Amino acid sequence: MSSNLRIQAISGHSGAAPGAGTQRGERVAKLIDTTTCIGCKACEVACLEWNDLPFRETVFDNTYQTMPETAWNYWNLIQFREHVRPDGTLEWLMRKDQCMHCAEPGCLEACPADGAIVQYENGIVDFQQQHCIGCQYCVAGCPFNIPKFNPATKKMFKCTLCTDRVSQGLEPACIKACPTGCLHFGSKDDMIALAESRATQLRDHSGYERAGVYDPQGVGGTSVIYVLHDATNPEAYGGLPKNPRVPLSVKLWKGPLKWLGNLAMVGGLLGVTLHYLRFGPKQVIEKETDRA
Amino acid sequence: MILRYTLLERSIHWLAALTYMYAMATGLAFYSPHLYWIAEMLGGPPTSRYWHPWVALVFVAALAWMLRAWLPDMRITAADRVWGRDVKYYIRNEDEKLPPVDRFNVGQKYFFWVMLFAALVLLVTGVCMWFPASLPLELRPVMILLHVSAALITIGAFIIHVYMGTAMVRGGFTSIIRGGVSPAWARANHRLWYNRVTGK
Amino acid sequence: MTNGWIDIKNTDMMLIMGGNPAENHPCGFKWPVEAKRQRNAKMIVVDPRFTRTAAVADLFLQIRPGSDIAFLGGMIRYAIENNRIAREYLVNYTNAAFLIKEGFKLPEDGLFSGFDAAAGAYDRSTWAYDETRPGEAANDLSLEHPRSVFQLLKRQYSRYTPEMVERITGIPQAQFLKAADLFTSIRKDGDMKKAATVIYAVGWTQHSSGTQIIRTAAILQLMLGNVGRAGGGVNALRGHSNIQGATDMAGVFDLLPGYLKIPAVADTDLKAYLARTTPTGAKPSKWDSMNYWANTPKFAVSFLKALYGDAAKKENDWAFHYLPKIDRKYSWTEIWDDMYAGKIKGIFAFGMNGVAIGPNSQKNIDALKKSDWLVVCEIYPDETSEFWKSPGVTADEMKKIPTTVYRLPGAGFAEKDGTFVNSARWLQWKNIALPPPGEARLDQEILARIFLGVRDLYRKESGKFPDPVLNLTWNYTNPANPSLAEVAREINGRDLTAGQQLPGFGLLKDDGTTSCGNWIFCGSWPEAGPMMQRRGTEDPSGLGVYPNWAWSWPANRRVLYNRASCDPAGNPWDPSRKQIWWNEAQQKWLGIDVPDFKVDSPPKDHMGPFIMNPEGVGRIFAPLAAFTDGPFPEHYEPVESPIDNPLHPQQSKNPVSKRFHSNMDKFGSPAEGYNIICTTFRLTEHYHYWTKNNQMNVELVPEPFVEMPAELADDLGLRGGEKVKVTSARGHYIAKAMVTRRIKPMQVDGKKIYQIGIPFHWGYRGIAEDEGKTALTLANLLSPAAIDANAYTPEFKGFLVKVEKI
Repeated sequence: MSSNLRIQAISGHSGAAPGAGTQRGERVAKLIDTTTCIGCKACEVACLEWNDLPFRETVFDNTYQTMPETAWNYWNLIQFREHVRPDGTLEWLMRKDQCMHCAEPGCLEACPADGAIVQYENGIVDFQQQHCIGCQYCVAGCPFNIPKFNPATKKMFKCTLCTDRVSQGLEPACIKACPTGCLHFGSKDDMIALAESRATQLRDHSGYERAGVYDPQGVGGTSVIYVLHDATNPEAYGGLPKNPRVPLSVKLWKGPLKWLGNLAMVGGLLGVTLHYLRFGPKQVIEKETDRA
Repeated sequence: MILRYTLLERSIHWLAALTYMYAMATGLAFYSPHLYWIAEMLGGPPTSRYWHPWVALVFVAALAWMLRAWLPDMRITAADRVWGRDVKYYIRNEDEKLPPVDRFNVGQKYFFWVMLFAALVLLVTGVCMWFPASLPLELRPVMILLHVSAALITIGAFIIHVYMGTAMVRGGFTSIIRGGVSPAWARANHRLWYNRVTGK
Repeated sequence: MTNGWIDIKNTDMMLIMGGNPAENHPCGFKWPVEAKRQRNAKMIVVDPRFTRTAAVADLFLQIRPGSDIAFLGGMIRYAIENNRIAREYLVNYTNAAFLIKEGFKLPEDGLFSGFDAAAGAYDRSTWAYDETRPGEAANDLSLEHPRSVFQLLKRQYSRYTPEMVERITGIPQAQFLKAADLFTSIRKDGDMKKAATVIYAVGWTQHSSGTQIIRTAAILQLMLGNVGRAGGGVNALRGHSNIQGATDMAGVFDLLPGYLKIPAVADTDLKAYLARTTPTGAKPSKWDSMNYWANTPKFAVSFLKALYGDAAKKENDWAFHYLPKIDRKYSWTEIWDDMYAGKIKGIFAFGMNGVAIGPNSQKNIDALKKSDWLVVCEIYPDETSEFWKSPGVTADEMKKIPTTVYRLPGAGFAEKDGTFVNSARWLQWKNIALPPPGEARLDQEILARIFLGVRDLYRKESGKFPDPVLNLTWNYTNPANPSLAEVAREINGRDLTAGQQLPGFGLLKDDGTTSCGNWIFCGSWPEAGPMMQRRGTEDPSGLGVYPNWAWSWPANRRVLYNRASCDPAGNPWDPSRKQIWWNEAQQKWLGIDVPDFKVDSPPKDHMGPFIMNPEGVGRIFAPLAAFTDGPFPEHYEPVESPIDNPLHPQQSKNPVSKRFHSNMDKFGSPAEGYNIICTTFRLTEHYHYWTKNNQMNVELVPEPFVEMPAELADDLGLRGGEKVKVTSARGHYIAKAMVTRRIKPMQVDGKKIYQIGIPFHWGYRGIAEDEGKTALTLANLLSPAAIDANAYTPEFKGFLVKVEKI
């Protein structure tokens, strides 16, 4: 079952994307069940190996976490957090952190470069580095702090949801490597159903009364969804925002401000043209006496 | 001919003008997909993105020089405010109804200050956009919004400035190229400055 | 494992203790997760640290290292008190009903009957069944007789009250009771449907009473009727890819392949040896017992035929005298002690970083400095192969070291074929992925060439008793580089008259007509071909048996003791997970797994499911020579302990476990300021001392660290990332502090105790080490040379240290 790479949205593009408004195939999704993640980092290594990402130097930072956040050459990272519950017991939360592949991607909306970010019909949001100008607007547009800059090549990078594998009917590398089966891949509908049934199981049988699915609607839902022990407290999982949205500033900038700006510029040009036609230039009468 | 702008002043002005226009052009390319072709024309989008902040810094440096050089001439006075209330006469080319002005009229002064403050906002937000990782997550897109807003303001001001300097006020353009203006021009447009520099 | 990896998915309840499978067996850990997901199975994790396994547990309890017997003993007491036992199973499948001789004494004062203080050992003759006639065990099936094993068990653990458990382990009573209630809940109201598993690793074995810890778990599991059940059992998670294979093939001094015993000096001939090592037992007269070890002579003679071929004849006792006979213990720690004492002149270190593994690394390093020669076969230069570069060795000292070091480049795991035997006893053949680089050679080639060279020297120069060397069969097509397929066939064994590969150990004979290198592997390479190369993915029963994938010993049985999965009448305790069952019409046992039993023995004959025990039943009480330190486990304190044993302060420690006494063997106590308990552990991201040479692993965890409680860090004025020095009576270790809430301070017998954990993956050679990023200290500089009384494993977990900020 290979997935469709027809493009539904293109950053910085004047005119519609070829696939806009169509939906021939299914949207895909990766389900991450944090309740069965053991933080083994097989997914980190699989991503590095599949994508041929080079070695980076790391330092000890009082945690098992490999590095503080994802990097241009480290696209997925387990976030480890020691979290004390209200009753004093400890939990050690482990969350696989990577691009969420939002249905309404803030990065794509913010990006000014034509074709640098595309969104496929299957929901995957992919950076096309050949069109990237390294302006880092995507960094500002993303509520999950995902796009990362390579200072040497001045291009932005992030998880690709293995579009190269997915388009050939394979699951992403991280999913293949996960030993406990905490990662699942399939159609969004199927993954939501699986996630909900797992969350129900956690509530009914494991004492996690607030277990739930994280599929934030503020960005239109995502192609990466989580099952959380406590869906009311995503921040406990190392920086997962509770109600992520494409930032208001981005929406204002790309929406009302565009209109205002265009109005101002066009209006300004029109204005001065009309002024000239109506009033003409200021004339200065030269006097003979000045020539002395 | 009376010397209105020295060679240094003119050079700095044109440096500012050219750097501003480059920043504006590349900025407009990033502002709208419909104008993206501008970046392609100016050496390609990555190149444009690379040089935009550096060129803009030069622009800011030029403005800083202008601030130091022209601060005395740019102070807004009580007389300016009177002139400003009656600006409709200026627009209607009924300049004789307005009180005399010094080296720069209040419109020019406002242009200067608007550009300066907008450039300051552009500088701060621009540097933040250049290094967004140094900012907290929530502030990053705010910087862009402010940057674009400030840029649009400068563009509006720029349109008026160019119009006035070229089409509307004859002799103005020559003055910023060759430096000199005729006495009649000086008396008509900047009487107080004429009196000051000629001793009359 | 008695069961297997995939079988764990069938469980309803898991006790994971003395092991951290999420981190150290992440792929196998898939199955505990499956059990949770598919069956709502519950997971209880007991560990000195809140590990990544604890992160997915339903219940976590932090325990003081080395106090596991107290915890498990407390569970046994709880199960008995609350009648959560599998009564019918207990009566019929274990020796609970057997009576013990008069004169047996429980260790209420810390000693069982028969302790000889001068010898430092027990006379075990009182640890025996009361036999009405030889071979007939007196018994009381009502389990009420005061000398019944069951009543003795009850008395033994009556002292392990929740309050005592709290004093010894540091686990608050309420928490302990919660765990005991949960784990034993599977037998509430006598319900036999559910199964619970116990999963452990070196957190149990690496103690001076390690064997007895596992024994306590085995007793608990027998009481709960979990052994032989799908989703049950006592399951050891082996720590290396082929360590199961290594122990099966007797990479241990006191065994021969297939767990035959090595001959002793007192075995004057084969007959004496067989008499000593072929067990006989006592059982109730009406019960039948297969006593499979009664076939020891067949295994032993076939083994001798495999080793010595035609040179092994009836006339020369099948070349029995070619085998070495041990006069004492030659375990790992003994070897290094001997080398330190100058008694061992040279050592072959094959894929084994002896100096780093320890215990008491400095002693091992100093031992090497005294040796004449060292042959290292490795894939990277490591601490052993460069022992003269250990920190503290001056240039002058180095010049005086007389050791000649031979460094042989070996092959890595992906460059070799052959089988790995996993924890589930599966022999899986693997193929070579790529050839060894440069001059590196396969292990078999290196060993073969050494052997042929030695044999050649014996042929030319003769020597003391050359016969075993000269007569060792070496009929490989390429003697200098034997194919492992040929070796595997040899191990499987042949019928020497028909010249055919044997299909199973049932056909082995003691008359010299069969040869077999390892009887438990017999059947792995029959005439049909290599069974361990099979990759059949069918699992018709859905219980994860996969009967056509590879080959498990013995005889491809996946779950051992599976007769016990049925009641005495031959019906499965849980029909939804039936494994084998008695078919009356066919008069045999059928099943979805190979019956681990005499296939035509009807239920009415009451043959015991534990066919490898002479009694035929599981041993709640382990009689006679089974263990050196007691027929029942008793809690003893670790060799270095912060408290006196609350059960019997006058006999705090195991009277039989061995400590070494060279001048390098120092032990510390709280009086000397060693107040903090230290344990060593492994990370997912690193594998022993190998991956410090691999960039990928170094990226994931770049530097060594010491895990410590936040409260201890506060006391020391320390923040995470700052350097600490950990000191034991033997040495010191320096690394950065990892300050965490995952290890809490504990109250042990009223004392506030801190414990710390050290991952041991670094030394003085590796990527980070070579870049000067570490202090170059080995974790095992700290650990003591004190070993388990039965398996001789060192006490790497739970010794005393001091910690200071530097």
